[in-house]
Amino acid sequence: MTTLPGVIEIAESVKGGKVTANQALADCLQRIDSGDADTNAFLRVEPDVARQQAQAVDDAIAAGKDPGPLAGVPIAIKDNIVMAGRQTSCGSRILEGYTSPYESTATERLLAAGAVLVGTVRCDEFAMGSSTEHCAFGHVGNPWATDRVPGGSSGGSAAAVAQGLVPAALGSDTGGSIRQPAALCGVTGLKPSYGRVSRWGLVAFGSSLDCIGPITRNVADTAAIMNVIAGPDRRDSTSVDTDPPDYLAGLEEDKPLVIGIPRQHRHEGNHPATEAAMEEARGIMESRGATFVDVDLEMTDHGIATYYVVATAEASSNLARFDGIRYGRRATIEPGESLEDLYARSRGEGFGPEVRRRIMLGTYVLSAGYYDAYYKKALQARRVIHDEFTKVFEQCDVLLGPTTAEPAFGIGEIADPLTMYLCDRYTVGANIAGIPAISIPGGFADVEGTKLPVGLQLQAPFLGESTLLRIAHQLQKATGHHLCSPGH
Amino acid sequence: MAEIVSKQLKIGMEIHVELATRSKMFSRSGGAAYPSQYEAKPNTLCDPVVLALPGALPVLNLSAIEMSMQVGLALGCRISEFTKWDRKNYFYPDLPKGYQISQYDQPLCVGGTIDIPANEGGTRRIGITRAHLEEDTGKTGHELPGGHPYEGSLVDYNRAGTPLLEIVTEPDFDCAEDCVTFGRELRNICRFLGVTEGIMQKGHMRFEPNVNLEFTLDDGRQVATPIVEIKNLNSFKAVLNAIQHESVRQIEAWKEDGREMGPGMKITRGWDDQKNVTVLQREKEDAHDYRYLPDPDLLPVVIDDAWTSRIRETLPELPMSRRTRYQEELGLSAKDAAALTDERDLCFFFESCAQRAAEVVSNIDAAEAAVQVAKWLLNAGVRVAREREVEVQELGISADQLSGVIKLRSENALGSTAADQLFELLCGNDESAEALAESNGLLQVSDSGQLDEWIDAAVEAQPQAAEDFAGGKDAAMGRIMGHVMKSSGGQADAKMVRERLIERLRN
Repeated sequence: MTTLPGVIEIAESVKGGKVTANQALADCLQRIDSGDADTNAFLRVEPDVARQQAQAVDDAIAAGKDPGPLAGVPIAIKDNIVMAGRQTSCGSRILEGYTSPYESTATERLLAAGAVLVGTVRCDEFAMGSSTEHCAFGHVGNPWATDRVPGGSSGGSAAAVAQGLVPAALGSDTGGSIRQPAALCGVTGLKPSYGRVSRWGLVAFGSSLDCIGPITRNVADTAAIMNVIAGPDRRDSTSVDTDPPDYLAGLEEDKPLVIGIPRQHRHEGNHPATEAAMEEARGIMESRGATFVDVDLEMTDHGIATYYVVATAEASSNLARFDGIRYGRRATIEPGESLEDLYARSRGEGFGPEVRRRIMLGTYVLSAGYYDAYYKKALQARRVIHDEFTKVFEQCDVLLGPTTAEPAFGIGEIADPLTMYLCDRYTVGANIAGIPAISIPGGFADVEGTKLPVGLQLQAPFLGESTLLRIAHQLQKATGHHLCSPGH
Repeated sequence: MAEIVSKQLKIGMEIHVELATRSKMFSRSGGAAYPSQYEAKPNTLCDPVVLALPGALPVLNLSAIEMSMQVGLALGCRISEFTKWDRKNYFYPDLPKGYQISQYDQPLCVGGTIDIPANEGGTRRIGITRAHLEEDTGKTGHELPGGHPYEGSLVDYNRAGTPLLEIVTEPDFDCAEDCVTFGRELRNICRFLGVTEGIMQKGHMRFEPNVNLEFTLDDGRQVATPIVEIKNLNSFKAVLNAIQHESVRQIEAWKEDGREMGPGMKITRGWDDQKNVTVLQREKEDAHDYRYLPDPDLLPVVIDDAWTSRIRETLPELPMSRRTRYQEELGLSAKDAAALTDERDLCFFFESCAQRAAEVVSNIDAAEAAVQVAKWLLNAGVRVAREREVEVQELGISADQLSGVIKLRSENALGSTAADQLFELLCGNDESAEALAESNGLLQVSDSGQLDEWIDAAVEAQPQAAEDFAGGKDAAMGRIMGHVMKSSGGQADAKMVRERLIERLRN
């Protein structure tokens, strides 16, 4: 089977009448049929709903109406973004079978732009994890080596795109959950600035950190999706209230830039392939007139600690609503047992071990007597990290570094939660500071004879998505790493 | 054991006021305290935000902020320039999110005072510590609609997310009566501001007194009993009785267990309306740890001077101020002034009537018009309203009509009995006072020819009385007058009849 066309290619073909949205969908469904068994990325494929959406696009075209910029583009949605009349389970038993009565802003905008939402892809339970092993409904394999993890928590999104089942997927990123799986699967993943994409309909994990963003096979496709999903939303008080620029239009601009490389991101523990990727990027950008400077992000080592206090504190509160009273899993209790028994059993049975661990961590850091030592201190550290980024961006336009230290690890290989948490070492900073960051394919590592992708991360100041996308686009054009797909 | 030689009650009040916003505090669902939504069927004032569905986010309703600013300003509070939202975390079926959005350490309103008439005479100044906004919870019950019992628990989320203003006073009360006076005054203020209808049975206002006692023993020792918070009182009677019960119970409890106020000694009790006693709910050792955290879904609210000034300008004259003005400027009695400022709607009706009367009746000034209107509303008005089981302002008599009655009286065209009759006839009738008086033959006759005719007939019919009266017996006038009134059908101008009789028989 040939490579699935990208977002822009499909939209152009559908709008130009070369294929119908229904044909594009049929092609996509066939790829999912024949390929998904390898990675198990899809949790729910919904051909009937998707066909209706495709038909609406074809009808619009037949009626001479503009079908929208994403006409007929099949897109997969992470299992923590709600769609009206469709199931969302957040990879958790506690929401098994839950159907949302309302549509998230992001998917509503995709639909209005003519996209076809083919189904839901797996993720770590409530987006808590870096491997998608913590999904209650089965884990996902990495398309490059199916005995390895795709990263997480948006592992299903990254795997489905890398494998060519869909040209794009939505993910969510609280500490690296779009970028890390994008890096491990060799695709492009953008975590926008905090508030650039509305969180309405994204099931909250760490509300002050959560961002919805696209995962695609190239930067232009990411820009095309951002053009649709970004922008103010009155249903999310934290959404940025200025209109976003045209991200596609800015891709070809060519301005000399100053690129900073954080010394703290050039760790001896980094896989040599990531170092090679950085050197390659440096050469390309220098030849285009960029200047490189070494900068310091001294707080890098405190990022994970800060993140795991803030995120778990918010999560412990956000996940309180899953009590089995109004919806979701409700345990049975015997006569004579109390309301507390009902809560404890419903939540004990419904949440997996990683979610329970984080709820307990978050509960602990907010408890009387510990609040100041943990939560308050973490908020102070957050401020320092934020200010450090602000200062660094006085010296450079963007930051370049590896997305992760290592390529994909084996399924079941990391059993220790702390080691798993450290996967997000380079990515949490952008969430803590609220700035945009993108991971793009940076080449490949040879791990015991297996070719595994590594990712490069670019970070920009708040609302600097255009700059990020432009550099990422230029790098991709020069390296062509994004054109490699598993099995080719 | 030492004997108590003197004791002092100490009470601080927490009052929850449900604000009558059209939509809820953080969603577009209808507010449960908004009048047209009182009768909403269970779980119909709901949406993804109210039910805390996965992915739903709160968005602040600014009218909740502005209503709270109004109350805060009316209580003399300072409006914070920066106020934020915090999550108070606890599990309960009527709390959909598992946390309540509240204000922990940066409340909207701080530091006010209010003067109330004290039970022991004079006024008492009550300090307002703070007033903060939070969202109400749903309701848990065990009855199906129509009152049918249900063996499980049922939750109605209509009330969930309705804005709730929590007002906290300093412990400035020393008796239950003043707490009730304060509660009534606060309710009245809120009603004048239009921020709530203040219907107690609907739970629009709920009171939580914090009560303890300080006493001196005969050995000179000072003792304070542990502070007891009485939860969720929703009538003034319950406030009065619960505090009075505590003032006795706490002494008994101290005599038994000797426990005194100290860190970690706050006790929560409920009120049993049937048995008239407070009941232990919670001791400190199993108190909640609410794990407050700033709500990351909401932005802090920054309030500049211009905003506060704009709200200040919308404040109507408050009942206390009107009460003073009615006495000092209009010359109303303290009792009448209080009666007329007790209910917003009656007060507004009174003022519109008084204004109209001053315009219509040429020979009285504004103060006299107000006195006359007050007299009508509080005497005939209250009497007829009681008979018809409505409020005075709902009798169906307009400001124009009442002014017409006062005008006819001032022109001597109406006797006092006839005026009372006319007032009653006007209630629910659209005709003018003049027309209705005319058509019902209530107008007083002061035509001297007609009067003389009746007087002649009366003197003829009562010769003895006429002779007695002429001889100086004033009491004899009654019999002649009675005859005149009878033959005139009550329409004769009594004052003129009296004058003419004196002139005729004593000169």
